[in-house]
Amino acid sequence: MIPQTVEFDEVSKFYGEVLGVNHVSLSIPPGITSLVGPNGAGKTTLMNLMTGLIHPDDGSIRMRGLSPRDPENLMRITGYATQYDASPRWATGFNFISTSLLLFGYSRAEAEEKAWRALQQLRLTEAAHRKIAAYSKGMRQRIRLAQAIAHEPEILVLDEPLNGLDPLVRAETIALFHQWAAQGRHVVLSSHVLQEVDVISDQIVLISNGMVVAEGKIRNVREEIHERPSQFIVRCRNASRVASVLFKEDHITEVRLNEDRMGLLVMTRDREQFSRAISRIALDGFGIDAVIPADENVDALYEYLIGEGR
Amino acid sequence: MVLPRFAWRRMFQQRLVPLLMVIAMIWPLLCAIFIYLTNHAELLKGFSKQFQSFISINGNFFLVFMIVQADFALFLAALTGPGLIAPDLANNALPLYFSRPLRRSDYAFARLATLFVLISLVTWVPGILLFGMQVGMAGSDWLHGNWRLGFGVVAGFAIWGLLVSLVAMASSAYTKMKAVSGGLVLGFFFIMGGLSGMVNVIFRVTWGNALSPQWASRRIWCAMLGVDPNEGPGVAACALVLLSFMLLLAIVIERKLRPIEVIT
Repeated sequence: MIPQTVEFDEVSKFYGEVLGVNHVSLSIPPGITSLVGPNGAGKTTLMNLMTGLIHPDDGSIRMRGLSPRDPENLMRITGYATQYDASPRWATGFNFISTSLLLFGYSRAEAEEKAWRALQQLRLTEAAHRKIAAYSKGMRQRIRLAQAIAHEPEILVLDEPLNGLDPLVRAETIALFHQWAAQGRHVVLSSHVLQEVDVISDQIVLISNGMVVAEGKIRNVREEIHERPSQFIVRCRNASRVASVLFKEDHITEVRLNEDRMGLLVMTRDREQFSRAISRIALDGFGIDAVIPADENVDALYEYLIGEGR
Repeated sequence: MVLPRFAWRRMFQQRLVPLLMVIAMIWPLLCAIFIYLTNHAELLKGFSKQFQSFISINGNFFLVFMIVQADFALFLAALTGPGLIAPDLANNALPLYFSRPLRRSDYAFARLATLFVLISLVTWVPGILLFGMQVGMAGSDWLHGNWRLGFGVVAGFAIWGLLVSLVAMASSAYTKMKAVSGGLVLGFFFIMGGLSGMVNVIFRVTWGNALSPQWASRRIWCAMLGVDPNEGPGVAACALVLLSFMLLLAIVIERKLRPIEVIT
C-alpha cells in the first residue's frame, strides 16, 4: 500500500558551508500543516526539498511514496506555489494556467477546463482574460495559487500563500485550504502570521536554524513543553476567593487577578493537577464559568521554543 | 512541444528577428538564381567558356553558401539566444517550470530545440532546398556524383547550429542580462578567433586555427563537401576541439540551470 504521508528521514541540506536544514525527520499526515519559523529558519528549503527543486545532501524524502528525484511522477500529485511572483506578465491569467497544464500532457480542452475551474476557485474568472501585468498584488498571489491547484494535486506546497490577500479573499482561501484538507490532501504551507497559522493548521512544524524544534498538533506540542508553566484564563464570579484556593496548590506558580475581578490568569506546572483542582473548586460552588488555555497557540509556542533564540 | 512553441512565439515578438530572417534569405535567393543560370546554358551564351566552367555547382559553391549563412545563424543566435533562459533566471521563473512534470534536461532540450530550429531555417533548410533545386535541374546523374554535397550541407550546418545554440544558451544562463548575453555570444567567436590567430603568430604554427570555432567548423565542412582545405590542423583535431567546446558549454548550462539559485 502506498503510504499517505510526507516523510523526511534524517534530511540535511547545506548550501556550501551554510546550513539549510540539519537532520530533519518528519512524518506529515494529510491535512493542513504549517511550517513556522523565523526568516532563514529553513522553511523554504524544506519546501524546495519536498518538490525536488533541490536535493538533500543526506537523508531521504518520500512524498506519498514518491521520490522528489522523480519529477515526472511527483509533480503530477504535487502543486507548488513558490514565494516568487514569477507569473509571466505578458500572458493572461487563463492563458498562463491553461498553458501550464499543457505541460502535464492534458489535451487543450482538458487544460482549459481545469484552468477555468482553478480560476473559479480563486475567484479570478472576471480577470481571467486580462494580462497578468494588469493584476493587483493580491490577484497575482491568487494566480500563483491557481497554477498550483489547477491539476488537482494530492499534495499542495504553498510558500507564504496568504501574503498580500485582502481579508475577504484571505478568509475564502483559508476555507479552500480546509476544503482541500477535508478531501484527504496534504496542504503544507508556511506563514509568518502566527495567529493565522493557529486558525488554519491541523498540525505545525516549528523550525529554527535549520532544525525542527517541535512538530505535531498545537496542543500536543504545548504539553511537551514542561519547563514553561501552562497558562489558563479562569472566568468566575468570585475571582479573589478562587485565587486564594488555587494558591494553596503546589503546582500553581502564579495567579493574576483580572481588573474586573471576574477572571484570573493562572500559571501551573501540572496541567492534570490543575484540571483536578479546578473541578474540585467548581464542585464546591465557586461558580466557574469558563477555563480557557491561554498559551495553546502558535504564538506562545513560537515564543517559548524559538522566541528566545531570535 | 509546449515549451518550444511558446519560446518561439516570444522570439518572433522581437521585431529584429523576422527582419533578420528575411535578410538571411537574400543570399540563398541569389544562390538559387545562380543555380538556375548554370543549368540554363542558353542564358550564358555570351560569356566565355572559361567563365562558363567557373560557375559550376560544386563543393566550393556550397562552401561559400554555408560560410555566409553561418554568419547569419550566428547573428540570429546572438539576437534570440539571450531571451531563452536569462529572463526565466532573472524572474525566478525556473521553479515554476520545475514544478511541472519536467526534468532539467527536458527544459534544456526544449530551449536548445527552439534555437536550433530557428537556426535551421536560415542554414540547412535553404541549403537542402538549393541542393534539391540543383538535383531537379541537373538530373539524377549529377545527384549520383554529388550526393555528398547534400549530406555535407545538412550535417555541416547541424554541427554549426548545435555549437551556436549551445553558446547562446550558455551565455543566456550565465549572465541573466539579455544585452550582455548577446554580446557574449558574438564575443565567444570573436575572442576564440583572435586567440587562434595569436597562438599561430606566437608559436609560428597553424594548429592554433583549431581553437577558432569558425575555422574548425569550416575545416570539417571542407572535408564533407570534398573541397581542398586551407593549411592547418586536420578534421579529427578540429572535430575534437568542437566536441570539447560543446562539452564545456553543456557543463556551464548544467551548472547554471538550477531552479534555486544557491549563493554560498
